[in-house]
Order: sequence, then C-alpha cells, then structure tokens
Amino acid sequence: MASYNWVDITTEFMEKSSELKLGELLHDPEFGLFEAMSAIEMMDPKMDAGMLCNQAKKKFLNLKHGIETGFVKIKDLSYPELLGIIDDTYACLVTWLEGHSLAQTVFTNLYLHDPHLIEERSLRAFCISMLKIVDIIRDRINKASVFEEEDFQSLTYGFALATEITDSRASGMLKEVEDDLLRTIKNTRTKQNEDSDPVKEKEHVYATALHSRIKFTKLLFSALIALSKEKCQGIGDANQSLKQMLELLQGMKETWSLGVQNEDQDGRTRDYPTILGFEPLINQRLLPPTFPRYTKIKSREETMWYLNGLINRLKAVCTVTQVSGLHQTMEFFDEFSKPSPCVLSRSILQLLYVPTNRRILGTHSMVDVLKEAIRGFIVPPALMPRSAIANNAPAKEYVDAFLAHCVRPVFNLLQTVGHNRARQRGKWAHLLEELGTLQDEADKVDAYLHSVLVKMEPGKQHLACFGTWVLYHTLQVMLNFTLSGFELELYAVHEYHYVYWYLFEFLYNWLISTLSRAGTLLWEQETAEQCHQKTKSGKKGKKNKRRTRPHSRELTLAQAAQSMCGAYHKAVTGLMLSGKLQQPQFEYDSEEVRYNHRFAPFGCLVTPPPVQYPQFKEMTDLSLYNPPLQPEDLYSTAAKCFQQARIHYEGLTNPNNEVQILIKVCKTNFVVMKLLIGGHRKESKDPPEFDFSSHKIFPIIKIP
Amino acid sequence: MEVWLNKNMKICMTDGRTLIGVFLCTDRDRNIILGSCQEFLKSPGSYTSCAPGEPRTLGLAMIPGRHIVSIHVDDQSI
Repeated sequence: MASYNWVDITTEFMEKSSELKLGELLHDPEFGLFEAMSAIEMMDPKMDAGMLCNQAKKKFLNLKHGIETGFVKIKDLSYPELLGIIDDTYACLVTWLEGHSLAQTVFTNLYLHDPHLIEERSLRAFCISMLKIVDIIRDRINKASVFEEEDFQSLTYGFALATEITDSRASGMLKEVEDDLLRTIKNTRTKQNEDSDPVKEKEHVYATALHSRIKFTKLLFSALIALSKEKCQGIGDANQSLKQMLELLQGMKETWSLGVQNEDQDGRTRDYPTILGFEPLINQRLLPPTFPRYTKIKSREETMWYLNGLINRLKAVCTVTQVSGLHQTMEFFDEFSKPSPCVLSRSILQLLYVPTNRRILGTHSMVDVLKEAIRGFIVPPALMPRSAIANNAPAKEYVDAFLAHCVRPVFNLLQTVGHNRARQRGKWAHLLEELGTLQDEADKVDAYLHSVLVKMEPGKQHLACFGTWVLYHTLQVMLNFTLSGFELELYAVHEYHYVYWYLFEFLYNWLISTLSRAGTLLWEQETAEQCHQKTKSGKKGKKNKRRTRPHSRELTLAQAAQSMCGAYHKAVTGLMLSGKLQQPQFEYDSEEVRYNHRFAPFGCLVTPPPVQYPQFKEMTDLSLYNPPLQPEDLYSTAAKCFQQARIHYEGLTNPNNEVQILIKVCKTNFVVMKLLIGGHRKESKDPPEFDFSSHKIFPIIKIP
Repeated sequence: MEVWLNKNMKICMTDGRTLIGVFLCTDRDRNIILGSCQEFLKSPGSYTSCAPGEPRTLGLAMIPGRHIVSIHVDDQSI
C-alpha cells in the first residue's frame, strides 16, 4: 500500500468551500459536469453496495474463521443439516442460472469456498462436485454466448472451482458416498417379522433422501459432461442420466421439507438461506461498484420444480440430433425458443448443433449442410451432381464463393434464436442488413449461372434459385421481427390495423409466392426424374408414394396465417369505423411516424421492397368504395377470413398443439364477428379487448 | 483550494467507512467527487485496529457533504 502523509484539512476545506457561489463547481478543467454524472453516490441505498454491508451483522468473516468460532461445523453433521445444505445449494444454483451473480448465490455457501476443509465425506464430495458443476455450466454458457447481462453472470470472483480434482475422481467420491448410504438404507429397513423402531425408521427416511440427492448430483454432473462431448457422442448417456434424474426428483420433491429450515424473520420467511454454512452477505465486498442487485434465492420447493423443468428441457435438447436438414433444425430451434427456455438449455442446444469447431453436430461442414438444404428447397441445377453446369469450373467457383458467404449469416440466424425472446427482436433487425447483402449476391450469381446454363443446355433455366432461397430466409426474419412485437407487447391497439395489414398484404403474400415458386421447381424436377427413371428401368420404376406437393405444409401454414392477419386487419378497421376503437389524439407523433418507426429495419432491403406509409394509406383508403363501406361489411369479410384460416388449419395432418389452439381462436373470433354483424352492442362505444392469453400473436377479440 | 485538485484525498464518512481517491470536484455544499476511489471499512492508517478486509474499488464516487466527517489531503505532492 502506498504510504501517505495525511494532513487534516477538514475545517479549512469547509471554510473555503462555503465561499463558492450556489451552483458553482470547483473542478479541474479536464473534469466537468458530464463526467460527474457517472459518479456513484455514496450513502444512497440504491447505489452504494458497501452501505448494505455495514448494516449487516456478520457472524464470521470467512470459512476458517467460521470453523474456529464454531459457527460452521465440518464434521458430525446431522441428516437434516446435510439435507438443508444440499437443497439450499441447489436453490442458489438455479437462482444463479436465472441471471444473478455467483457471489450472491452459490458462494453464500461457505463450504464451497474451500471444500477440502470439510471432514464430513458426503458434504465434501457434494461440494466438490457442485463446484465442478458450476464450472462446466459456466464454460458451456460462455462458449455458446447466447446470453446477455440479464440472463447470466459469468464472473467467478476468483473462487477456485475444484479444477485440481479430475472429473472421474469427483464422480468417484460421490459414488462412494452413495454406496455407503445404500448400506445404511438396507440396514435400517424394517424387516417383515420385526417390530417397527421409530429411530431406525427415521434414519431410513433421512438416508434415502440424502442418497437420492447425492445420486442426483452425480447424474447431473455426468449428464453435463456427456452433453459436452465432441460430435454429440454423449447423447445416449446424457439421456439415460436425465431419465434417472427425473425419477429421483419425484422423491426429492416430497422430501424438501426434511432439511433444517431457515429461521423466520419477524414471522416472514427470508429471501435467502441462513442455515448452517450460509452467510448471505459474505461476499458483499467482492461485488462491483455498480448498483447492488437484490437477490432473492428461490425456495426449495420452487427449486425442485425448476430442476424438473430444466431436465425436461435438456431432454428436448437431446432430440436435436434426430432432426435432419438445416431448415427442419431451424424450425426445431424456433419451436424450442417459444416457451422462453433457460439460458443453460439454450446454450447446450447451440453447442450440440454448432460446437466450437463450427462443424454442424461436430461432424459436417456448414457448406455441405447448406448445399443439401438449398437442394431440398429449390433444386438449383448448379447443385445437382448430374447437371453439366455443376462441373463447369467458373460456375462452380461462383457457387462456392456464394455458399461460403452464406455460412456466417446462417450461423447468425441460428444463434439469434438462441438468445432470450426480448433480445431476439433487435438481433433480427440487425440480421436484415446482412441478408440484404447476401440477396444481392445471390441474384448476381443466379444471373451469371443462367447465362452459362442456356449456352450449355438450351431450354433450361437458372433463374432466381439462390435468390429465392435467400428471400425465404429474409422473409422469415422479417416475420419474426414483426410478430415478436405482439409477443413483447410493443404495439398499441391503435397500431394493430397497419401491423396486421403489413403482415397480410405484404409479408405473408411474399412468403406464399416464394414457397410456391420453390415448390413448383421441386415438383417439376421430381416429375422429370421419375420419367427419367421409368424410361431407364422400364416397368420396374417404382411408384412414388409421396405425391403431395413439396413445402405444402409450410405453404398451408403461411396461407392460414395470412388469412388470420387479413381477418384481424378487417375486424380492427371495422371497429374503428364503428367508433368502438378510437385513434388517440397524437400530440408529439403521428401514425406515419409510428408506422415508419415500426418498419424501419426493412429499409435496408431491396427485395422485398418496403411499403411506404403513403402507399399503405392509398391501399387501405375506404373512401374509394361506393356505396361507402359499413362496419358490418368489414366484419363480414373478417368472418370469412377467420373461416378460411380455420379451413387451412384443419387441413393439416398431425396438427400440433399450437394449431389446435389457433383453430379455437378462429372459431371464437368467427362467432364474435357474427355477433357484431348482427348488431350486438352496436351503440356501445366501449373498446374491444384483445386477449392474447391463448396465443401470443393471434388474440381472441372480446366485445364487452 | 485549487492546489488540492488532483491530489489524493482521504474522506471519513458518517457511517465509519473511509474513502481514498483523487480529488476532482466540489461545490458549496461540500459534495465531493473522488476519482479512482477505494473504499476501506475502517481507517487504513490506524494500525491498532486489526482492520480486516481488502479495499474495494469504487471508481468515480460522489460523497454528499452532509455525510462527510473529516477530510485529509496527502501533502507529499503539495
């Protein structure tokens, strides 16, 4: 520490400073009010983390001190104490996974500061494994990097994470403890011809509870290791472990109350564990000087449910290896993201599909996967092995360069779905710039390939193949961006009419034409190939069983969604016309400003060209109708659209849960429209309600 | 008073904590801004108390005048 020669200037300073005028600052020319803004204010409870620390009455300073003073036991712990410590440590772990700092969660357990000091074998083994689990989770989440500060805090504050002990040694320690406990369980089991002994029975219950927790920890540890294996080789083992963990968790859920409980504070349960070995404020000094976050540790019961959810999510993640094809995987990612999964499961999914070596599932190169995906989407001649153009050297060079340029945007697409729902929106907007550039290149490559192809095989085409494929992804991103506004509750009710209009008239329209184009090309190619095969192998040419049009499911979904958006647009317009929905009096903005702001990210694209506000006004101008439209006319169009959407949805084979919900939404809204046509509550000016509780994008309209 | 600018300053606060940092700014109400500020739970100068705990780095900190107990300046550089 630097040595100072302190001189007391308190009185002098007070006198001098009081000579300053009100509002006058004495400062260095380099330092102004602007810099002063970022200073933290001492003694302000919201900013000053150190202040909380001083208020706290700590029983001891660190683990060693705790052991010396007898506040922390390192041997002869009772079963309830052990169970309590383990359950609360898990509570801390899952709270950490929800975005809190390690210092305020897991490391409020002092045993984890130096597990080697612990003499009790079960606790030592548990603590060491817990540190290793923390380490591996941190590693996974950091490597996947699909988190933001609100998701996850990766700082370890210099705590040792038991890296000196190998994974197998840690598992071995748990296994030994597990075996010991199993013996105790056997010895304490009441035999048939024996009188029941309450002491023995109690020990039996406790030993069983502890055994399941130790085993659970061992399985969690091994599942995480298995999921980190290269080339997804550990999926089988991981699945096995996860299955067993779910079974163990059943028992753990029933016994969470066996451990020692926190003392209540003034009759209320505390927000953090204070049982043996836990000191909530022990690490206050380690926290950064930013605003202290209040950390409420989850309760034991909540923790068990959280773990249950986590295991189910990880099980779902494991199935990604069974998904074939890039587009199907993207759909899988999308579906997985919908219920807002936790950061750990999101990270593991990312790493399984795109590990750090950037090879898909650890084995295939992205370019190969892309080739297959594009071939399956639109069969461009340049990617067909038997076509002449695929063997043309300059053409091949162009295609390879284009594919190489696709790699990064596609990785970004996958990574974006891995982020939390709220962050995705901004990232979609950002991605459009990249896709715009790619679209440009795709169009050029298509044009060049076409010029080469017509020379080689007159009559064949290579028009807008890659272009259509890129456009398909661009449209998906535009849709994701626009739809996320509903989920995040960004749009005001008076904005619905143009948002649904944009989706109906424009985005879904483009998507449908893109999919139809790709589908038609695929269809032609398949038919041609069949004829080819028939002529080649004579009668033996087997009948193609798949005679549904390609992309038909996606097409139907897009058509259904388009009808839905059309229906909402008409319904909202009708409600506005009838005076049930009022446009607010804009003081500082206007509808045009809002419209431009909502669709601003589309401005960077050439295809599809963004629709400007005047164009929207022109296309939706009701004054063009003669006789003038009545609200009932619009309701009736809306009703038709809802019915149309329902027919589309009902036409799908194997409808998933979401489709079934959507059918219900269609039916309900259809009835509401019929009521409105019939003049239900015609005179009332009460605004309608939009109930998004069944579906995040398509609400049920309610007329109060 | 200008001579103290950019000098090391030690401020004891009403809650017993001590802050050491570079004096950057003050006003009529003795609100003081210290740069590269470190927080000590107890005065680091008093060797008698077995002051535990490392200093904590705060960075830029503003101490409201009403919470200041005493002000010391490091005269080595004056």
